[in-house]
Amino acid sequence: MRVRVVAGIAALAAWVTILAAVPGASSEDSIIRYDRESRYYRIQVVDYPAQGRRCLHFSKSRGIQSSMILADPARLDLKYSQAMAAALALHREPRNVLVVGLGGASIPKFLQKYYPELELDIVELDPDVVRVCQDYFEFRGNAKTRVFVMDGRMYLKRAEKQYDLILLDAYAADHVPFHLTTVEFVQLVKSHLKPGGVVASNLWEKAINRFYLAELKTFQATFPQVYLLPAAQSGNIIVFGAMADEPVTPKEWVLRAEAIVRGRDIGFDLADLIGREYQCLTDRKIDEAVLTDDKAPVNTLRHEHPKHFEEEGASP
Amino acid sequence: MIRAVVLAAVFLSGAALMSLEMAGFRLVQPEFGSDIIVWGSLISVFLGGLAIGAILGGRLADRRPALWKLGAILALGGVVALSIPLYSDAVLDYMFPGEGAPLPEEWGAGGTGAVGQLVVYMPPDLRWPTLGVGLLLFLVPSVLLGMVTPYAAKLLIHALGHLGAGVGKISGLSTVGAIVGTLGTTFYLITWMGTRWLLAVNGLVLVGLGLALALVHLATPRE
Repeated sequence: MRVRVVAGIAALAAWVTILAAVPGASSEDSIIRYDRESRYYRIQVVDYPAQGRRCLHFSKSRGIQSSMILADPARLDLKYSQAMAAALALHREPRNVLVVGLGGASIPKFLQKYYPELELDIVELDPDVVRVCQDYFEFRGNAKTRVFVMDGRMYLKRAEKQYDLILLDAYAADHVPFHLTTVEFVQLVKSHLKPGGVVASNLWEKAINRFYLAELKTFQATFPQVYLLPAAQSGNIIVFGAMADEPVTPKEWVLRAEAIVRGRDIGFDLADLIGREYQCLTDRKIDEAVLTDDKAPVNTLRHEHPKHFEEEGASP
Repeated sequence: MIRAVVLAAVFLSGAALMSLEMAGFRLVQPEFGSDIIVWGSLISVFLGGLAIGAILGGRLADRRPALWKLGAILALGGVVALSIPLYSDAVLDYMFPGEGAPLPEEWGAGGTGAVGQLVVYMPPDLRWPTLGVGLLLFLVPSVLLGMVTPYAAKLLIHALGHLGAGVGKISGLSTVGAIVGTLGTTFYLITWMGTRWLLAVNGLVLVGLGLALALVHLATPRE
């Protein structure tokens, strides 16, 4: 009898130990700094000491939201965030910028450091993400920075301010919420751009799929000029919409990027990235329907292969 | 015949109810965000509608029940569903105004404290406006559809045999309909037809069903 009780307790203990060990407990490779359920996500901050990195996850299994080099917090570590920065070279002289989706604040920190004159507004849905950025990702306020805690579309519908640059990076873990993909939303974004303004939107998918193309089509339907920078192997593509009459050539864009990095080290080669990845979509034929509030079947499109998409020098 | 159409009405009204609820989420999310508040509000409104509908439907069923009256309830529900797109934008805007509303800067500045003096503006509390949207748009149709189950039970009371088993069967059929409506809408219909067409199709199905019940009523010889 006693033996059975002891064996039972031992088995239970072993089971609990296994369970505790399985879901992402700290190991030699990674140390969990923060792991809490917020109103919207499970927010995890994980250190990878061997790489000197700290990452933000909304559930570890669902990709990296943001990554920071501990020794250089303002550096843009993820390829997609570097590609987003190309928007700074697409606009002649940005004075203010709106960032939708804070993540680990990598882009805001970069802007604060290298563009201290820039007025920076940020919209983030989850107040806990703002707090985590302050506590774990070295995000600090300054006189030019404001954070609005709310849905991005909700903000744009009510804000009066217009921007030179709008950077869209609002991800609910591994997908953009449908109401931030539709032509109604993209037009709302456009209405908040100044003349000559530029929007950059991050799209992250596991593979090229019909949602990608539908979103590109939606940008095409809204902006006079549309460009694409696939961020190499990460699965991100950055789509740019510009309020300009003429498309910018890769050469011009690269030259402007070179002017930006001249005489300082921003930690990556912006000009090279643009020169390598540039695609102009303004006149490209895309065989998909524009996404609308009424009909935005993003969940289905995401799992379907594109019908056909002639890729001129597309990403590897 | 009567039994078949009444059971069909129970099944399809269950399906339409959940289909409307799913369409409701798509209607509200663009203005109120993808927030758990939206889910909680709409689910509560539909459950509340079902409860009120069950009580009212039960009472109505005790006063000279007739097949055409059940048909009228369904058709009325269908007309309301058809009419939702006509005023949904106005309702959304009324509960949470866009144009001319206070600027986000005026919604209550935070400044979450000393850490680097980050200036943070907090959002307005949207719990009650979200519930208000749910009530204005979906309470009436869910009350009407909630009336169907008890009314159907009364109509079939003689055909049912054992009361417990009969009522259980009707209630189960309604819930199976609800599952079909939920999965059918989220897996297929939203993708195929979009939100507005979905509302329209639900409305037309209910109106058609109401007419069918009325026709069967006319075709059935009076005692």
